[in-house]
Amino acid sequence: MTLSRTHILALLTLYAILLGLRILVEVVGPLGPITGQLLTLLAFYIALGQAFNIFLGMTGYVDFGYVAFMALGMYGMASGVVRAYEAGLTGYYGIVFGLIQTITLTSLLALMVGGIALRLRGAYFAIATISVNEGLRYLVEGLDIWEGSRGLIVSGPLIRLFGSEGFSLLATIISDIMVFSVALLALVISIVFLNTRIGYALKAIREDEDAARVMGVNTTMYKVLAFTTSGILGGLLGAAWSFKVASIYPPDAFNILYTIEAIILVMLGGAGTLAGPIVSGTLYGSLKYFLAGILPGFQLLVFAPILVAVIVVAPEGIVGALRVYIPATRRFIA
Amino acid sequence: MADITSILPYYIISGLLVGSIYGLATIGLTLIFGVLRVVNVGHGAYIMIGMYVTFWLFTLYSLNPFITLIPAFLVGLALGMLLFYVALKRLLRAPELSTLISTFGFGVILEELAKVLWGADYRGFVYSLGSLYLQGIPLPLVRVWPAVIALGLVIALYVLLYRTRLGVAVRAVTQDPEGAMVCGVDVERVYFLTVALGIGLTTASGALLAIYFQQGIYPYIGHLYTLRAFVIAVLGGLGSPIGAFIGGLIVGVIEQASVPLFTMLGAPNPFGLSVFLTFTLILVILLLRPQGLLGR
Repeated sequence: MTLSRTHILALLTLYAILLGLRILVEVVGPLGPITGQLLTLLAFYIALGQAFNIFLGMTGYVDFGYVAFMALGMYGMASGVVRAYEAGLTGYYGIVFGLIQTITLTSLLALMVGGIALRLRGAYFAIATISVNEGLRYLVEGLDIWEGSRGLIVSGPLIRLFGSEGFSLLATIISDIMVFSVALLALVISIVFLNTRIGYALKAIREDEDAARVMGVNTTMYKVLAFTTSGILGGLLGAAWSFKVASIYPPDAFNILYTIEAIILVMLGGAGTLAGPIVSGTLYGSLKYFLAGILPGFQLLVFAPILVAVIVVAPEGIVGALRVYIPATRRFIA
Repeated sequence: MADITSILPYYIISGLLVGSIYGLATIGLTLIFGVLRVVNVGHGAYIMIGMYVTFWLFTLYSLNPFITLIPAFLVGLALGMLLFYVALKRLLRAPELSTLISTFGFGVILEELAKVLWGADYRGFVYSLGSLYLQGIPLPLVRVWPAVIALGLVIALYVLLYRTRLGVAVRAVTQDPEGAMVCGVDVERVYFLTVALGIGLTTASGALLAIYFQQGIYPYIGHLYTLRAFVIAVLGGLGSPIGAFIGGLIVGVIEQASVPLFTMLGAPNPFGLSVFLTFTLILVILLLRPQGLLGR
């Protein structure tokens, strides 16, 4: 797939519309059914899909432990803020320190897991990643890191650092803009990857890894690169999200539900497509938001069968299917 | 450290008992992988279903929990058939990604159905048969018998695989599906029967685990068993049923013996660390011996 200027403009327009809507709602209040919470949810799922797509979509490897990156991001940011508060520094130091911690922790995890597990093929890789996620969770509980199973309280220090008004801004519009930025960053990185030899290498790995290796592609390096990029973005998403939670508990932070959602988002939209996560994130986020009122807790019962159906009937996902069956859309949907 | 040598035999014996059931609980996963080259990522969901079958039949109809093994096995057979026709049959030639996600999705559907039908509460029952004393160590019979039955089922599977025509066909397909097809083996039928049998054994192991632990049954209990089954399967070599059983025994002993060890070392949460240790094993084995301890 070659990307034209039209493709990139179309994608950026969609992002601009969403971000514009979010700011508009903040200023004038909800527009009918479009509330701030709805747009927050959409931003979160688009970012999650866009970030995970760089690994799952481009390489075809399934990381069943993706949530571990988000969890490290949440813990990295929250513990940074808490430490700054305890040391008597201002909140901005806390956020910068939190970002540094997030990026360090997630890249370490990605390099460690990627270096070991990405030498292995699909099934073995999937097995390794599930165990890493659970292993980390039990390590946090077992060694009592970040307050262990008692939970790390974030909202208290945040309120004292930023004041209650500053905190409520931070927990809503500011963290939303951060989530949007993560999504945008993931999109830009995807575009850069696709337009350089990295994209060709990843595509070659997805289609036929042995052939790629024979042709001289350093497959392990490119897989680790995609894995690490995707992991750091997941961590940043977790960091942005951590302002919205009062306290962080290992079973919530490492909840496999987020991994399930990330897989659904990538596969439903179309693995490896750029517009896929925007379509599936909007669809999944809205359904989750509106189902929460009618049938709380049912969204997985609705989406799991859809996921199986998509894999069996249309493995190319919504955007992939559009491009196959309505060729005219190829000009502006990538 | 004088302490630990005196209590260690107890933990080793209970590790072997629970490990025997862990082994059975992993055989379905490894059998399906060996024959179809598909990793059932939703594996634990079928263990959960087996546990609920025992729980409900015992609680509602006072059926002897050991008898519930049969309905649990039959439910598993039916679910296995469904899994094969819905989520696997069309994907056998598709990239590995597809079957990983479809089996995962199928497992999520079962868990969500269980949550909707039976609620997210932890459930349990009490059933006792008294204890056996081994040199002064009390061993509840509800822990001994499930382990013995698990061993019996593993031996039965061994006989099926090595002494019957179906077993020959299954092993032939494991080694070379195309060669088997040329020799007149109905490969798709073998696939179908393997998935049904593999899931049936898995739900049966769920019933045995319910008798062994009796408490804490809830819709997402399968996650921990999926992970444990992965560790065991990788330890024994993915695709090797006998390796899975021996791997089960090893993991059972490691889990049971590491809890008192970590307690003695003063760890804040020994149970968490023991689970962590099990999962670290996976990375170590994958790094050093990806073919498994028994593999060549």
